[in-house]
Amino acid sequence: MYCDGNTLMHMSPLGPRVSFDIQPHDGTPIYRQVVEQVQRLVASGRLAPGAEMPSVRTVAEAHAVNPMTVSKAYSLLEAQGLLSRRRGIGMVVAEGVTPAARPAERLALLQPALDAAAREARQLGIDPTAALDAFERALCQDISKAAL
Amino acid sequence: MTYAIEARQLTLDRRADSWSAARTRALDGIDLHVPEGAVVGLVGRNGAGKTTLLRTLLGLVTPTRGQSRLLGAPSLDLPDAVRERLGYAAQTPDLFRRLTGLSHLEEMAAVYAHVSLKVAATLAARLDLSLGKRADELSLGDQQKLSLVLALANDPDVLLLDEPMASLDPLSRRDVLRALFGLRERPEPRTVLISSHLLADLERIVSHVLFLREGRVQLFIGWDELLEHLRRVSCPQRPPALSPGQLHWSAHDGGQLLVDTRLVPAPGGACLDMTDVMELLNT
Repeated sequence: MYCDGNTLMHMSPLGPRVSFDIQPHDGTPIYRQVVEQVQRLVASGRLAPGAEMPSVRTVAEAHAVNPMTVSKAYSLLEAQGLLSRRRGIGMVVAEGVTPAARPAERLALLQPALDAAAREARQLGIDPTAALDAFERALCQDISKAAL
Repeated sequence: MTYAIEARQLTLDRRADSWSAARTRALDGIDLHVPEGAVVGLVGRNGAGKTTLLRTLLGLVTPTRGQSRLLGAPSLDLPDAVRERLGYAAQTPDLFRRLTGLSHLEEMAAVYAHVSLKVAATLAARLDLSLGKRADELSLGDQQKLSLVLALANDPDVLLLDEPMASLDPLSRRDVLRALFGLRERPEPRTVLISSHLLADLERIVSHVLFLREGRVQLFIGWDELLEHLRRVSCPQRPPALSPGQLHWSAHDGGQLLVDTRLVPAPGGACLDMTDVMELLNT
């Protein structure tokens, strides 16, 4: 098992299986959390074309959330061309989807989180150097956690 | 667009002999259109009218004015074909003291065609509830679970729940949240109207939220829409009148304005959770 940001990936004989990290109370709609986590996993190449997504029911049961919300996320990802519906299997990562090759593309996905953190740091009156230090520490902690 | 639950100008005057509330209304001109498949959280302070609204929608209370419909049928004249598709769990479990859970189910099955003992038994097992005990032998939490099992036993298309989880432990609450979406695949998603003070639970499951205050609908909005577009901004002075996009001014915390950022840009406006919105709307 390894960790990408906050989405757990379990290795199984059929390839990686995704389980989402859903935080119902962090101010981001649940469907958007799912969309963004899939976008990140695809951009990083950890989810390759053909990889199966867990069923709507599985995700809804696991997190005690509304299945319609999960379904909405999958439909949006399908509309974006990242997922496709395969008969008998459910949602899979669409053929032809390639990881974001350039670091700049992956950074673009990180930008909203950075903007939010920058705004909160300013509101809290934290000076930029201290904020940068804190981000560096968070990165190190995350990497060591992921290595476990 | 078909609506599972509708209300037009639903109004209920309090009894004239209730001197302390002589000038108030339990329900005051409620307009509501709940689309099929919506899961609506009914949120408001004690006495806001949540229970009265649910009971009026079910036809258990006759409104002074206005009307409501469930699955297209008038609340005050629900045909059996519609009744069979409804589920309701009252705030105080409405049980026969001397009957076991199973007897309750058998009584229901004798009257309603769609009651499935199998569905009910599966659900009871998931909630860790014994159906063999008499209602008066059950703890309050277990009575509440039984009341939910009964409300769900006919796999209803419309489910009205009044504080269904108030006496349940956190694990049982999680199981109840899961059970609301059915133990088996449904061709059409169930419409649910659920009142609760456990807002963190509601945040997991609702598609819409209805904020009620003093018998009036203050805000009825998609939950994702609220999270994405409504923000709180500081505003020390009460605006003389709210302009479009300004939803509510609260004196709380030095003056706060609830705004819809699609109409009123609010850079740096704070994101909100359900408790924040409830606090803003009630102060």
